[in-house]
Amino acid sequence: MAEIDSSGGGKKGGGKKRSKKMSTKIDMTPMVDLGFLLITFFMLTTTLAKPVTMQLNMPDKTDTKETSPVKLSETLTVIPDEFKVYYYQGIPTDAGTKIDVTDYSDTGIRKVIADLKKKIGNNFTLVIKPTKKAKYHNMVDMLDECAITGNKRYALLEIDPSSEDLIKRSKK
Amino acid sequence: MPKVKAKRQSVSLDMTAMCDVAFLLLTFFMLTAKFRPEEAVTIVPPSSISEKPLNAKDGMLTISVSNEGGVYLASDDQLGREFMLERMASRYGVAITAEMKKNYMASEIVGYPAGAMRQVLNMKPADAKKLIKGIPIDSASNELSYWVGYAKLSNPNLKIAIKGDQNSNYDVFSDIIGTLQAQNINIFQLITSPEGKPK
Repeated sequence: MAEIDSSGGGKKGGGKKRSKKMSTKIDMTPMVDLGFLLITFFMLTTTLAKPVTMQLNMPDKTDTKETSPVKLSETLTVIPDEFKVYYYQGIPTDAGTKIDVTDYSDTGIRKVIADLKKKIGNNFTLVIKPTKKAKYHNMVDMLDECAITGNKRYALLEIDPSSEDLIKRSKK
Repeated sequence: MPKVKAKRQSVSLDMTAMCDVAFLLLTFFMLTAKFRPEEAVTIVPPSSISEKPLNAKDGMLTISVSNEGGVYLASDDQLGREFMLERMASRYGVAITAEMKKNYMASEIVGYPAGAMRQVLNMKPADAKKLIKGIPIDSASNELSYWVGYAKLSNPNLKIAIKGDQNSNYDVFSDIIGTLQAQNINIFQLITSPEGKPK
């Protein structure tokens, strides 16, 4: 961008040859561009990486008050493993208990939970028993599935030997 | 009478002021940008659809679990931290000097067994990094239980957050939950990174 000298000076035509006076103004457009680019960058990055939390409430162990029992037919036990999820309904020691295996995808465990929740209704309870090999994010994923399917009733328990046996027997 | 000609205006405008503002803002954002506190271990939390921001109004005690299963403790309650150190030191018979206290307050996290406390705290936090391997949590010497207990004693409103690495083993988490439940702490905030909500 060339500067247009509008001051109208220099009517000394024909006189001594003078060295041309350079304008002191410089074009600051690229500098301002860069400035605003950096501002945008810092403004966006300062707010993007805020961690979020999910609250986990565990039952009070000292509280011996009897709570309302949960019907077995209304519970689903999910057993998150490192790469797959086992699930069954009912008591693990029962011979008729069928264990199934699925994955963590949208059409996997989420569909199982959503379908069963639709069938059973509001009393649907999810029991989460992560295996010894499960990673931390597997458990968070399961809690997340509860939030996604809108399921407020869930319990986080230690895995019991009978459930482990059931997995071993199913060979899945 | 000659015609009055409109004076030709220059098309370039003075951008000095705009530039000044831009760089002032830039300087402001650069200086106020908070650097992530230095972590002795890098922890990548799992993602969740939760949208609740971390609320640490009454102080937050963060229990971190690294990929390898080390357990670390951090607190943003400075008074509470001092109290925790004094109680832990007197429990394990470690004499705390002013220098050790200074190093303790300067470091962000606690991540060493009480037996190594003297050695770690006599070093500058930057030098002691190699020694920070985690707080013992096994049933033989559950030091985490004492640290948390003293933290809760100094500030009963302290919230407990658990920041686990996504690939840490679940059983470490289960041990921490068990330890805290034994002290009747039943509400935890699990720190996760945000993720888009599925339809």
